[in-house]
Amino acid sequence: MASVVLSEAEKLYIVHGVQEDLRVDGRGCEDYRCAEVETDVVSNTSGSARAKLGHTDILVGVKAEMGTPKLEKPDEGYLEFFVDCSANATPEFEGRGGEELGTEIANTLYRIFSSESCVDLKSLCINPREHCWVLYVDVLLLECGGNLFDAISIAVKAALFNTRIPKVRVLEDEEGSKEIELSDDPYDCIRLNVDEVPCVVTLSKIGYRHVVDATLQEEACSLASLLISVTSKGALTCMKKVGKGSLDPESIFEMMETGKRVGKSLHTSLQKILDEEESLGTTRQKVGFLG
Amino acid sequence: MLGNVVRVAAVAASGGGGRLGSSAAGAMLTSRTFLKRTRAGAVVKVVREHYLRDDIPCGAAACRLCGARPAGAGLEARPAGAASHLCPGPHYLLPDTNLLLHQIDILEDPVIKNVIVLQTVLQEVRNRSAPVYKRVRDMIANPEKHFYSFTNEHHRETYIEQEQGENSNDRNDRAIRVAVKWYNEHLKKMKNEENIQVIFLTNDRNNKEKALEEGITAYTCEEYIKSLMANPDLVDRLACISDEGKEIESGKIFFPEHLPLSKLQQGIKSGIYLQGTYRASRDNYLEATVWVHGDAEENKEIIIQGLKHLNRAVHEDIVAVELLAKDEWVAPSSVVLQDDSQNEDDIENEEEKENILKASVNKNMLRPTGKVVGIIKRNWRPFCGMLSKSQIKEARRHLFTPADRRIPRIRIETRQADTLEGQRIIVAIDGWPRNSRYPNGHFVKNLGNAGDKETETEVLLLEHDVPHQPFSQAVLSFLPKMPWSITEKDMKYREDLRQLCVCSVDPPGCTDIDDALHCRELENGNLEVGVHIADVSHFIRPGNALDEESAKRGTTVYLCEKRIDMVPELLSSNLCSLRSNVDRLAFSCIWEMNHKAEILKTRFTKSVINSKASLTYAEAQMRIDSAGMNDDVTTSLRGLNKLAKILKKKRIDNGALTLSSPEVRFHMDSETHDPIDLQTKELKETNSMVEEFMLLANISVAQKIYDEFSEFALLRKHPAPPPSNYDILVKAAKSKNLEIKTDSAKALAESLDKAESPAFPYLNTLLRILTTRCMMQAVYFCSGMDNDFHHYGLASPIYTHFTSPIRRYADIIVHRLLAVAIGADSTYPELTDKHKLADLCKNLNYRHKMAQYAQRASVAFHTQLFFKTKGEVNEDAYILFVRKNAIVVLIPKYGLEGTVFFEEKDKTKPRLDYNSEVPSLTVEDTTFRIFDKVKVNIMLDASNIQHQKIRMVLVEPKIPGKDVPANPTTEASVSNEPEKKKKKLQK
Amino acid sequence: MAALELLSDEGYRADGRRAAELRKVRARMGVFAQADGSAYIEQGNTKALAVVYGPHEMRGSRSKALHDRALVNCQYSMATFSTSERKRRPHGDRKSSEMTLHLKQTFEAAILTQLYPRSQIDIYVQILQADGGNYCACVNAATLAVIDAGIPMRDYVCASSAGFVEDTPLADLSYIEEASGGPQVALALLPTSEQIALLEMNSRLHEDHLEEVIEAASKACKAVHAVLDQVVRDHVQEVTALLGD
Repeated sequence: MASVVLSEAEKLYIVHGVQEDLRVDGRGCEDYRCAEVETDVVSNTSGSARAKLGHTDILVGVKAEMGTPKLEKPDEGYLEFFVDCSANATPEFEGRGGEELGTEIANTLYRIFSSESCVDLKSLCINPREHCWVLYVDVLLLECGGNLFDAISIAVKAALFNTRIPKVRVLEDEEGSKEIELSDDPYDCIRLNVDEVPCVVTLSKIGYRHVVDATLQEEACSLASLLISVTSKGALTCMKKVGKGSLDPESIFEMMETGKRVGKSLHTSLQKILDEEESLGTTRQKVGFLG
Repeated sequence: MLGNVVRVAAVAASGGGGRLGSSAAGAMLTSRTFLKRTRAGAVVKVVREHYLRDDIPCGAAACRLCGARPAGAGLEARPAGAASHLCPGPHYLLPDTNLLLHQIDILEDPVIKNVIVLQTVLQEVRNRSAPVYKRVRDMIANPEKHFYSFTNEHHRETYIEQEQGENSNDRNDRAIRVAVKWYNEHLKKMKNEENIQVIFLTNDRNNKEKALEEGITAYTCEEYIKSLMANPDLVDRLACISDEGKEIESGKIFFPEHLPLSKLQQGIKSGIYLQGTYRASRDNYLEATVWVHGDAEENKEIIIQGLKHLNRAVHEDIVAVELLAKDEWVAPSSVVLQDDSQNEDDIENEEEKENILKASVNKNMLRPTGKVVGIIKRNWRPFCGMLSKSQIKEARRHLFTPADRRIPRIRIETRQADTLEGQRIIVAIDGWPRNSRYPNGHFVKNLGNAGDKETETEVLLLEHDVPHQPFSQAVLSFLPKMPWSITEKDMKYREDLRQLCVCSVDPPGCTDIDDALHCRELENGNLEVGVHIADVSHFIRPGNALDEESAKRGTTVYLCEKRIDMVPELLSSNLCSLRSNVDRLAFSCIWEMNHKAEILKTRFTKSVINSKASLTYAEAQMRIDSAGMNDDVTTSLRGLNKLAKILKKKRIDNGALTLSSPEVRFHMDSETHDPIDLQTKELKETNSMVEEFMLLANISVAQKIYDEFSEFALLRKHPAPPPSNYDILVKAAKSKNLEIKTDSAKALAESLDKAESPAFPYLNTLLRILTTRCMMQAVYFCSGMDNDFHHYGLASPIYTHFTSPIRRYADIIVHRLLAVAIGADSTYPELTDKHKLADLCKNLNYRHKMAQYAQRASVAFHTQLFFKTKGEVNEDAYILFVRKNAIVVLIPKYGLEGTVFFEEKDKTKPRLDYNSEVPSLTVEDTTFRIFDKVKVNIMLDASNIQHQKIRMVLVEPKIPGKDVPANPTTEASVSNEPEKKKKKLQK
Repeated sequence: MAALELLSDEGYRADGRRAAELRKVRARMGVFAQADGSAYIEQGNTKALAVVYGPHEMRGSRSKALHDRALVNCQYSMATFSTSERKRRPHGDRKSSEMTLHLKQTFEAAILTQLYPRSQIDIYVQILQADGGNYCACVNAATLAVIDAGIPMRDYVCASSAGFVEDTPLADLSYIEEASGGPQVALALLPTSEQIALLEMNSRLHEDHLEEVIEAASKACKAVHAVLDQVVRDHVQEVTALLGD
């Protein structure tokens, strides 16, 4: 991430602003920046989405590949996460520089999606113990302007919403050997139900208050943040404290409440635009990086 | 909450926008997405771009709307095809895929012109049948036919996307209909006084109905062809693909259903079914074997018995079989059964016959037995044969009996049965419904009178799958324009060797001279020897129609009095033929040798030569022998001859085999062109001189291309035979107190040389003939696909074919490889693709094999003609093989081989005792061993007009109980034979 | 099923282009705010992003600094989802290391590096979707990004590929055309001076045809140049219009 170096005075300015519920860019403490989302931006993936939150720019591609179900869950498919912190975002990520952060984000994603209800993994099973769909969710970090986790979670949810998995039929003969047949009709595909897919809301403690969707500058003033994942119904699925500072239990509860509230409305507006985009069908002109 | 998630709306994309190079074509972009399974079984999504254009011409000559005129003839402005009473106005035809696939015979008729072939259709045809695709391509290239291929999938107004719930077949059908509609609207805009209509031809009822609903004029092929007023006979050539509902046959079901392909593949994978090649029995129409594919040890060969189990499979089809339970297994029957029933629905009779098969079962002989459950791939081709006219007068449906006994009889519909009777005709199978005893087919072509030389030659070419049609326009278009001369450009990578004293030595009458030689002394005292081979690859460029045709033909086929060229005559007998006193392009292999014939330097170069003399073997021999001649050519020949002798000796010392097989040549009557005498070829020293240098060139080239392209060299190998192959030879020699060693080629060659018997001078030749029969077939292969390169017969570690590019395609590939290796020509992707090369080798090996068979069949036919005029004769013969119930004899005088049977139909069988150890066969009290001298009576057996054959009967030694005229009166038989023949024809 | 027909008898390629036609090229500059320069390009279905950082001080070890010119540092990487079968890692494999090297060579030839001694210029390219001509798309995108960063170059660097099928040179190969195994040439050209910045060829091709193929590739490069030039002009106009407000 482009590192930000702030002077004491600048920091003080930001902290005092937050105290007054007025942030440098004019937002209140619980306001998100304007997020831009577009799905189906990479045509050779099963599903893809690009999300922009301020300067944070995330591209997610989902590829469905056939694999074998895990031993402990023979009748379910599974998700694999990979996060590529591209050198596009900052020269520091060149070579293996982005690996550490990438692994950290991927691990967080695994935890968020570990909840049973999140995605219907049973629908990804083709035939138990033998074949299932593995969804490779590949996150590409293109630019970083603060609040990475939230932006990634939005992009992941949008990409999963956009994902279309080909329908296959398992043909079984009398002797039990199986053959997988692919449907001839490209429209014949499975969609995922993403209603229960959570979004991440990161709350950064600045001074005595906390803000959502911190910019890079704000992040530089925050010693500790709380990352929570919230479903569209406001249920909390995962929580994690990040940052080098400490948080007192009282404020954690406050932050959780804010997080649930903000998260719910984030889900609502995300779902609204996804549906809107969906309704345009194939006639929609794609923008991608050209807009 | 301030921030909101917003949708990214499309704004006019900045940037230069789409520009397609320098072209002005305003193209629109769309993409095609589809799913594909990779080899590893993964499912991947593939996205391909698909550009739609405005600049694709409609192909109509009168059209001014389409800017660019298409290359080629296009559609006529005033289509004056055959007059049809269904569509009297001018019209173009637009067939769908199935029509093209099934009715190609009709479409090829010169009457059918002005046909639009859509890209959609062409692609489907390409994927489904390569031969039909080629025929369609040929028609498009033929300016007479006015076929036009319209790239509808890239035309902005005719491209459609697959809709939800639509499979790709439906989509393609719709695309075709959209194109027809577009054409009709487009042609209306031409504002001609007479509006040209596009007629959609389809045999698919659904598609036709949909087309009619959409206001398209659509007919089935049958409707259209029947409407052609001037050509009623075309109807015969319609393929009878009847819709399921509209069966002409009785409702009786003869056969079980075939399982769908998906089920079959599943079953094969799980092992319930076995996949294999179906081979019908020659002698018994109710029996077949299936050769199971793969390396399974067990159940390699499965017997199928009975009509129901054979289940409509035809010889050479790839089928799926299911094994029967062990208690239902049968033994291969030794009964000869011919399908001669006239009544088609006589199923009871069949069952009776099937019972005959089962009755003769020997418990020890039981073999894996199965039934055909489905067809994986049909391998139908057009079949030669004769019509068995229906006994019902005025009947239109007749049975056709193919010449190949393994093919079932085919039912065809024709109005010209009277004309076709007694003729050899070609029939194609269209289908075999469950309720039909015989497959349905249609008449394709009349070859002519059975027994005529031309007709029979045609038949044997067809039956051996020898492509022999005249070269198509498309192929001929790639020939150099005449008058041809060598240009500056041609000389770029060539050495001018015109000053060299090159000459060619060939058999008399040879017009396709592909090799020439020279030899001269160098200043350093060494000898320079050059082998110059016609530079065919200069004229045949990779990938064009000419190249594809030559690759398909694979080899020139030499019949007794006909040559089926691999390349058009302009090349084979003129531009590529290294005739004397003309400049010709060549590919030269030049060695520097010392007088001990040791190679000091090898060099390859493309060149120009001017042969000083084209000699026959005899002429060359004469020059060498006559001391008086001392011109350059003769000196050159003498040098070559001297070196060749040394080379030959070296080769033989290395263990090369010199085997002989009798080669027969016919002396033809100059007027009737009938054979009047047979003669076995004699070999001169000069034969072996040329051969020696060709071998040397082939070996040198093989080494060079292998060094350069270790993975893609096209080589020829001759595997060592397994030791057991020699058993018969060793045993036979032992019976004459001779020892043949077979542990190495060298030992074999030496022991053969020693195997002489003063009392029996012909013995050595016989031994060598027998040795030939023990050998394996030499084959072409790609060096990247094999590790065993050895050529056993020539005792060379590496070998290829380089010296006869006019008549062998393998040589052309080798020329190309060599040219690339020396930087004289460019390569192309297929040349360095070992899988493609391996496929090519497969075809070449197949064509060579078939060419050999065709050649033998031609010799056999001419032998028959010969004996037809000569009548019965008695000749000396030697026994080559001893079989369980017969002996195989060789008649040295004619180089003729034949089988003498001791069992005859309707006669008491003699007592036979076969001993496999010796081997010997004792008939009554006479014992026959290999190499015994006998006397046989030879005559033509014309009792079956489709299958005439030479019949041999033993004359000496006499066997009691077998009466054979020891001294047939020649006059009597001569007068008898043709009469019999005439009767047959008149019937 | 028969193998794909790369060039039909009617003269159309599998995607409907004629032999000399390019795929649709669309591009945009200034995609990202934080980088010094950035650009995005689409050549058909091949999509690439490029960002440029610098010229800036040497990062990490100063010993690598060149006393007379700037060090051009590149990284080529492919998004794991960019290919039809998923890639396991975005960069660091042999192929992308090679591409990295090629890019470095190409841009060392084009950037006026002597103007920035002892400093470093980072060029990072990222393939988002791969459909043939990856190297070329990267070069074109990087050219725009370098221009966006305001780093002086001798000329635009424009790249395009060309192949050779049935005795016809094909410009701007798509993935299926590349995969067919025929000869292919990747060419990076400085169009005004017609200098070649990079030339790479694989598979055997006869010398005689080389000229034709290079000719086709350089024609394609010039066509690309025209598009890129238009993109730059449009971008500059847009930016000045914004500044003027």
